[in-house]
Amino acid sequence: MPTAVEPQTATPRGLPGENRVVAICGPPNVGKSSFFNRLTGLHQKVANYPGITVEKRVGSLRLEDGGQVDLIDLPGIVGLHPRSEDERICVEVLRGRSDALPRPVAAILLLDSTNLQAHLRMVPGILGLGLPTLVVLNMADELEARGGSVDTEAVSAQIGAPVVLASAVTGAGMQEVARFLQGSLAPARKVELPVINNIPAERKWAHAVVARSSYHAPEPSLWGRRLDRIFLHPVGGPLIFLAVVIAVFQSIFTLAVPLMDAVEGAIGVSAEWIGALLPDSILKGLLLDGVWGGVGSVVVFLPQILILFLFIGLLEDSGYLARAAVIADRSMRAVGLEGRSFIPLLSSYACAIPAVMAARTIENQRDRLATLLVAPLTTCSARLPVYALLIAAFIPERPLIGPFLGTRAAVLLGLYAAGLLAACGTAWLLKSAVLKSKPAPFVLQLPAYRWPTIRSLTFRLIDRSKIFLRRAGTVILVTTIVLWFLASVPYQNGEPPPIGESLAGSIGRTIEPLVEPLGLNWKIGIGLITSLAAREVIVGTLGTIYGMESDEGSPALQQALQAELSFGGAIALLMYFAFAMQCMSTVAIVRRETGGWTWPAIQFAYMLVLAYSTGFAAYRIFG
Amino acid sequence: MPGTEPDSLDHLSPGVTAVIAALDFEEADRVRLMELGFIPGSSVSCQRVVPLGDLAIFQVEGTQVALRKETAARITLQPSSAGREPDADGG
Ligand SMILES: Nc1nc2c(ncn2[C@@H]2O[C@H](COP(=O)(O)OP(=O)(O)OP(=O)(O)O)[C@@H](O)[C@H]2O)c(=O)[nH]1
Ligand SMILES: [Mg+2]
Repeated sequence: MPTAVEPQTATPRGLPGENRVVAICGPPNVGKSSFFNRLTGLHQKVANYPGITVEKRVGSLRLEDGGQVDLIDLPGIVGLHPRSEDERICVEVLRGRSDALPRPVAAILLLDSTNLQAHLRMVPGILGLGLPTLVVLNMADELEARGGSVDTEAVSAQIGAPVVLASAVTGAGMQEVARFLQGSLAPARKVELPVINNIPAERKWAHAVVARSSYHAPEPSLWGRRLDRIFLHPVGGPLIFLAVVIAVFQSIFTLAVPLMDAVEGAIGVSAEWIGALLPDSILKGLLLDGVWGGVGSVVVFLPQILILFLFIGLLEDSGYLARAAVIADRSMRAVGLEGRSFIPLLSSYACAIPAVMAARTIENQRDRLATLLVAPLTTCSARLPVYALLIAAFIPERPLIGPFLGTRAAVLLGLYAAGLLAACGTAWLLKSAVLKSKPAPFVLQLPAYRWPTIRSLTFRLIDRSKIFLRRAGTVILVTTIVLWFLASVPYQNGEPPPIGESLAGSIGRTIEPLVEPLGLNWKIGIGLITSLAAREVIVGTLGTIYGMESDEGSPALQQALQAELSFGGAIALLMYFAFAMQCMSTVAIVRRETGGWTWPAIQFAYMLVLAYSTGFAAYRIFG
Repeated sequence: MPGTEPDSLDHLSPGVTAVIAALDFEEADRVRLMELGFIPGSSVSCQRVVPLGDLAIFQVEGTQVALRKETAARITLQPSSAGREPDADGG
């Protein structure tokens, strides 16, 4: 049936409404978020594998003519038949059915210029939505570098929409995009497009358009194939993966040490200044013991977090991660999940919250649920300060494999492995009992390899530092201040009480019987309560408590812990933190994503039982 | 193997290109696979079989896609369309 879609060619200018909302859409991993970031100056997460953006995000842009445009970054789609939650969000916004956003007045369809034939197929469907649309052929830099070229005017004439060749990385073509947003780009002449909803017809049409656009496809990248031969090698592939992981963990201990010493030194010096500057007063105690002792002892771990994120950034930006998902597919399948669950699970090494959200890309709802339920068991970066502190205090450093792997890195590796095993085991239980499902076809698109850019890595580290410091300045600061007050009352003879007799102390003693079976005392017990807010809070709490306890300022946290805990108690504490859901934000996000309290409640209880029982066992074994 | 022509995608050996004939899936899955490039009429080549796993990586419509064997088995190929791809990685 040769009915044609008539694309509208009006430009966004002159359409009603003050806020001109313009949606950015396109296939996954074509650079939509990079493009959005370049135009709005925001820092949406960008990485080189499909399915990064899973939520709509609005950012505004002021135009030269004084007008303002609200751009929306959307999850990637491969057509207008959404199957997963993230795709549904995108299609809803495009069709103007989103509750949160008005119908866009225009759309920017981003396509990959290095893969024009496949991507042009999207055009009839998107133009059929009836929005004025600019088609941006992104990755112009890559097209050129690999010897390709395209005549955008020829494409434009055939599809009936303006076409711009651009690069979100170099900024090429951005003036034309701005002109489109201002409504001053000449509209293209109407043409008939093939009937939508017929993919073979769309494909034929796309091939014909490309054939008449003097398109020189870029040379296939040879080194991409060579890298695949190495990374997907049956023996070499997994070995390389292991070597990479070991390198990350070892450098968390070796590379980070001088940086941590520097941060620690700076905190110590500034504490002395304050000590000398302020007269003895409540304020001084609060500042030194509460803020410096509490928040400071967490901030020390910033270098280790940044090293972890530097490595994650390298893996994500290069495109290696998608290959790792291919390698992991087999093990994922053994526990009943598909290889795609690997990427959400992997992103929970940063934080469980984006991981729980990333599970949206999984089409099968039961698999999605299983993935988001087990994601908090994998080791997030908030556990790192706790692990690093306890390991440094209780595990003597000895080389295991020459300089490549020491005992401390090995224990850290073991803790990460324990988290992963618990996640997989739990997934298997869930999948074989309550969340059985028929496997859907497993399809994973592999992105092209790219060089990670210094710019992108720097942004990642800056963003990560901001997140870390913001947590230190909010959750951790508030909990330590509250704790400091609880530990300073009731006054005895006009003096703050010894901490054991304070309000905090009596709360601690009340719960002590609960934590005693794990070899922990009441001070750690308080830490377990405060760190329900966020895991690293326990480090701040202990910093405050030990700081208030001793007269000569805060003793090094490590020495204090060595005096308080037996080896078995330390291992029990590590186990507890490996498995317990000490994070209210995760509980909240799981509630939102599952639409009720049932699953987060089950998840919380399950993790608590697992944490308590393994902690108990560890204390029994290690004494 | 002279004489045995690959009739479905899982039988395509690395380095060989063929043309897709049909997809034997329920409608929703069929549409999804087509949206990802497995369209009747498209030429597809097998890039590598991931040993141990039961995945293979295909090049179709300019993208690299990993599929499980059982999915590939339900994508049939046009007869006598198979031929060696000149620039393929034969191994
Ligand atoms: N060379 C080059 N790389 C680009 C360009 N635009 C984006 N990239 C890279 O492409 C990858 C994907 O970019 P994203 O912005 O995350 O893509 P996206 O379309 O938002 O992806 P999803 O949210 O997963 O759908 C990243 O590695 C970017 O650095 C470009 O113009 N040139
Ligand atoms: Mg994105």
